[in-house]
Amino acid sequence: MAAWDLTVTVEDLGPDAPPFKISVTSDLHIGGVILKLVEQTNQMKDWSDHALWWEQKQQWLLRTGWTLDKCGVHADARLVFTPQHKPLRLGLPNGATLKMRACFSSTVFRTVVGICRVLNIRHPEELSLLRPVEEKKKKKDKDSSEELYDLTDVPLTAGSVQALYNGMPAHFADSPKTEAVYKMLSVSLPSPAPEAIAKLYRPASVVDKTHIHTRWLDSSRSLMQQGILENDRLWLRFKYYTFHDMDPKYDVVRLTQLYEQARWAILLEDIDCTEEEMMLFGALQYHIGKLSLSQDMVSSCQGMDDLESALKSLEVKMVGDGNSTDILDNMTAPELNDYLKIFRPKRLTLKGYKQYWCNFQDTSISYYKSKEDRYGEPMQQLNLKGCEVAPDVSVAGQKFCIKLLIPAPEGMNEIYVRCENEKQYSQWMAACKLASKGLTLLDSSYQSEVKNIQTFLSMQRCNSAAPAAQTDDSINTHSLVSPRYHKKYKPKQLTPRILEAFQNVAQLSLTSAILRFLQIWQALPDFGISYFMIRFKGSRKDEVMGIANNRLIRIDLGVGDVVKTWRYNNMRQWNVNWDIRQVAIEFDGNINIAFSCVTADCKVVHEYIGGYIFLSTRSRQQSDTLNEELFHKLTGGHEAL
Amino acid sequence: MDDIDAMFSDMLQEMDLLTQSLGEEAESAPLPKPASIPAPQEMNFSIGFTDLNASLHEMEDNDLDALMADLVADISATEEKFATDRDTSKGSAPFAPIPIQPQSNFGLPASTDTSKPATSSNSIAAPPPLPASKPSKEEQEEQIKADKIKLALEKLKEAKVKKLVVKVEIMDGSSKTLMVDERQTVREVMDNLFEKTHCDCNVDWCVCETNPDLQTERGFEDHENLVEPLSTWTRDTENKVVFLEKKDKYEVFRNPQLFYLWKKDKKSQMDMKEKDKEQLLEENFCGASIIVPDLEAILYMKEDGKKSWKQRYFLLRASGLYYSPKGKTKASRDLVCLVQFDNVNVYYCKEYRNKYKAPTDHCFILKHPQIQKESQYIKYLCCDDEVTMTLWVTGIRIAKYGKQLYENYKAAVRKAAGTATWANRTIQASSSASTPSPTPKAKAANGHAPQLPKDTKGPGNQTSFPPPPPSMETLPPPPPDPMLPPPPPDPMLPPPPPAPPASTAKVNKFPPPPRFPQSSFPPPPMDDLPPPPPPPEEAELPPDFLPPPPPSFAPYGGDSLPPPPPDPITSLPPPPPGPQNFASAGGAPPPPPPPPPPPAPAPAAHPSGSVRKMPPAPPKRTTPQQTAPPGGELMSELMTAMLKKRSQQ
Repeated sequence: MAAWDLTVTVEDLGPDAPPFKISVTSDLHIGGVILKLVEQTNQMKDWSDHALWWEQKQQWLLRTGWTLDKCGVHADARLVFTPQHKPLRLGLPNGATLKMRACFSSTVFRTVVGICRVLNIRHPEELSLLRPVEEKKKKKDKDSSEELYDLTDVPLTAGSVQALYNGMPAHFADSPKTEAVYKMLSVSLPSPAPEAIAKLYRPASVVDKTHIHTRWLDSSRSLMQQGILENDRLWLRFKYYTFHDMDPKYDVVRLTQLYEQARWAILLEDIDCTEEEMMLFGALQYHIGKLSLSQDMVSSCQGMDDLESALKSLEVKMVGDGNSTDILDNMTAPELNDYLKIFRPKRLTLKGYKQYWCNFQDTSISYYKSKEDRYGEPMQQLNLKGCEVAPDVSVAGQKFCIKLLIPAPEGMNEIYVRCENEKQYSQWMAACKLASKGLTLLDSSYQSEVKNIQTFLSMQRCNSAAPAAQTDDSINTHSLVSPRYHKKYKPKQLTPRILEAFQNVAQLSLTSAILRFLQIWQALPDFGISYFMIRFKGSRKDEVMGIANNRLIRIDLGVGDVVKTWRYNNMRQWNVNWDIRQVAIEFDGNINIAFSCVTADCKVVHEYIGGYIFLSTRSRQQSDTLNEELFHKLTGGHEAL
Repeated sequence: MDDIDAMFSDMLQEMDLLTQSLGEEAESAPLPKPASIPAPQEMNFSIGFTDLNASLHEMEDNDLDALMADLVADISATEEKFATDRDTSKGSAPFAPIPIQPQSNFGLPASTDTSKPATSSNSIAAPPPLPASKPSKEEQEEQIKADKIKLALEKLKEAKVKKLVVKVEIMDGSSKTLMVDERQTVREVMDNLFEKTHCDCNVDWCVCETNPDLQTERGFEDHENLVEPLSTWTRDTENKVVFLEKKDKYEVFRNPQLFYLWKKDKKSQMDMKEKDKEQLLEENFCGASIIVPDLEAILYMKEDGKKSWKQRYFLLRASGLYYSPKGKTKASRDLVCLVQFDNVNVYYCKEYRNKYKAPTDHCFILKHPQIQKESQYIKYLCCDDEVTMTLWVTGIRIAKYGKQLYENYKAAVRKAAGTATWANRTIQASSSASTPSPTPKAKAANGHAPQLPKDTKGPGNQTSFPPPPPSMETLPPPPPDPMLPPPPPDPMLPPPPPAPPASTAKVNKFPPPPRFPQSSFPPPPMDDLPPPPPPPEEAELPPDFLPPPPPSFAPYGGDSLPPPPPDPITSLPPPPPGPQNFASAGGAPPPPPPPPPPPAPAPAAHPSGSVRKMPPAPPKRTTPQQTAPPGGELMSELMTAMLKKRSQQ
């Protein structure tokens, strides 16, 4: 067989190095080509990660057993000998950028699996990569500052089970640098500055929300095939909104990153919520941020978990034991006694606050004319069980009021209790909070409740005193809500509202606060809907198709109303006509729809539908083995076949 | 050791006496005791009683009787706990006396046993703690001592538990009176009611509160505690607790598509496949967060303090009820929150067209449970039609209670299924039941022997009867089982044997009272009353009279059964045996014994009386009787008939 010259560039030798010409025959297999090439380079190094990339055809020649003939390589082919794993700048859900090596030769699906293995995120099938939004003005200083995290030195391990070391996967424990990376991954980042939020891109409409989907990479092709180069920026995001088998014990990173993605979705109004919900999200962010700050690196480690649970059970035990002595103790239950000012707004009267001697016992406040009268009948006794407690506080104005709405058969009685100072306020406020839930001062949560209120007050103090200078303790409440509310409320107005919501979550632990955040997020009506601009067959009007984990939603672009929903479990089949790029779906009852995609590629739509169906096939038992073949069958389109 | 034991037993007895003192004259002389402990208890009791007294005022005589029975059961339950711990000999002296009569010969054993059945009926809460600790620790004397201390404290605690006497109206206009413990959930109360009313135990049964002032009605959720909402009623309230079937209670779980796919056309909703329904439930109730139906509609709202009703576009979200203000979009950020659900409940309203000039009569309100009268703090809403109203009220319940609602439903289904299977079992058991197994412990045996002769008028089986009655009277669950750790079946049996003697006596006393308050403690009530059984309370007791033993057993079985379904593994074993025996007994006895409904006592002693009474009872309604089992035997047929009667009333 005739020998001919094959041109191969060896990337490692630099861009200027001349390509090698190797003499080959058509029946030489790829492995042989590589062998010859390596011999010619005369370089002693590990070439094992390298492979041949065929530039014109934009494809890898990975099957070393195939002959050149079989691969269709002829003399005009220009091949590049290049590593399969290259560094990538990965934008994480929390906004940080992490430099790490990823596989450029396998499908994106598998590349993501590899990345997630390094990052210690389970269920990588829920994530994918997308091209970032182009930043309008790229400042150079910003570029340099974001290259903080680097994992390129960490070898990609093949094993799926990773040993824990010091509470983190062993490969993170190598150096302080990698430990810092793990901390970044597993602990939620501090709230961003309000200006930073305002600067980021926010979708203003459903149409804007469709644009993100033009940027997803194709899961069934490799990075190189999609024009991604070494050191390019890509975003790693949760793509499918069904989060399988979330377990705080194993999913530290996954949970944190998901929380971060949800938080940003809310801050940037990717998902709409009401004002009340925003305040609650704000309160949870504040709480999570505060707990994360105080959380030590170690606290996520196994030993710590055990210790924590041991402490928990000890606590339970003590509470349990306490029960037996409870009754006796109750006779000497702790109480609060102080002079406080009380004000009962009544119709037609403008009486102000009047000072009384107040006694807080069990779940009631009794007040007397003066301290001397305290053994007599109280002027009134207020049972706070079931009441609503709201703060009415202004640290700057030294106003510490507790607003009580006490239910009575005739309605609610409104009563204001005014305290002198922060300390008094936090004690009485905490007592009122507990009493409204039927708990007494004996309850173990009392002290922490007092402390929570104090810290929140101090936050307000910092805000009002020196809004510019932020210390670690203080947070501008504007950084907890979306920019819309920056305009609507001043921090001074916002803080009390967040404080109010905060009271209901202040007792949550870090993990439960994150879980609560995710829960509320997932309960939003618009949660988990990915929007696509489409055009129905025969229609000349653009419409929006929402794809969720269980249904398709047709949305009228003009009004934003849901026109129709189709559920997957009524779906008989769906096809894509790749020539005319049209998706056709058949539902039970002879319902057929067909549409083409206006902005995103129809492969993305196809992948979304197939992906959700794939994800719904997961079950608890087989959660460890990922059926990649099925995924590609469902999402790959014609290329998979 | 002995001294300490003695001291404790004294103390405990003392407490018991105190407890009973309210019900009956304290017969036994107070024993010397440590001063410190008794004092608090006394206080507690008095407090509890004031409550009781208040409610007692409004009660009718028969109610009082029932109440007394409950109380006694309570007391005996407490005794029982104690008794189980100690040796028979020691305890015997103090205990037996209490309420019991001549038969007290049996002494301690008898009384102890009696108490057992009672315990079961008592609130579960109290007994469980003790039993758990006992079995494991029995071996070491030290621990026993510790347990006793615990027991004493437990008793003190128990005394502190708030109890209410609740009169529950039943659809046919009759009523039942129950004592409800503050720890009891609505589910448990309903189990009692099932047992008392012999209705089919389907999932739609519901305990509702009605408020005539506001013309509202709300079904309590199964997981709620009943005492808490009831204790917020005003003193002069006309509010009522009603026991009825409400189809919308769990409709969302039977036909989730009606709520989650409400926008779809009727036909496709009707055609929904079971599999798809399940999936809907799975999607909406089994995820990380539950999904609230995405309701949105124009509803009418009566604004605070105004008389007019305004139309608004409302949306339901997990975080609350919102409307979109005029001129704004439906976008989330523009919505105004009308109310969040943390502190309010949702109530159906009646005839608001008249009362408040509402556009339609399909109204619901949201208010704090403690608000009992018209108030500006109530949110009034009005829908175009009933379907819409059900949609919204259910949606709000889902938003408020979330997964709990689904748990309740599943528990209710299990319960309903359990009852059905139980019925079957009973029948089968009947055949074998003829031999009442006196396998119980030594104590039980003691009690048994004497009684058997007595009780057995006709068939030896009847011995078993006695026990059932007590259970009947008292509501709740059967915690007793735990007490008798060893042989599951034993628990059931033991009670019966001993029960006859002692319990009979007791029971007799109580049952009678219901009819004639004066005859508070006549041992043989039947005799006294026979001729003219006061028919007033027919609703309550009549059933018992008519269909002698079998019915009573059935109910009994029902009683014990209910609990098992929920936690089949633990509780089940014991109950079944019991019921079976009874059932069997019932089968045999039918002819001779028309024992009164109350406890066992009736069967043996007052056959004649029962007969007389029979007439009134049967006439009642004719309705459900699902429980009727399939058995071909005579027994089963009898059973069916009995059940029918039961259910009718």
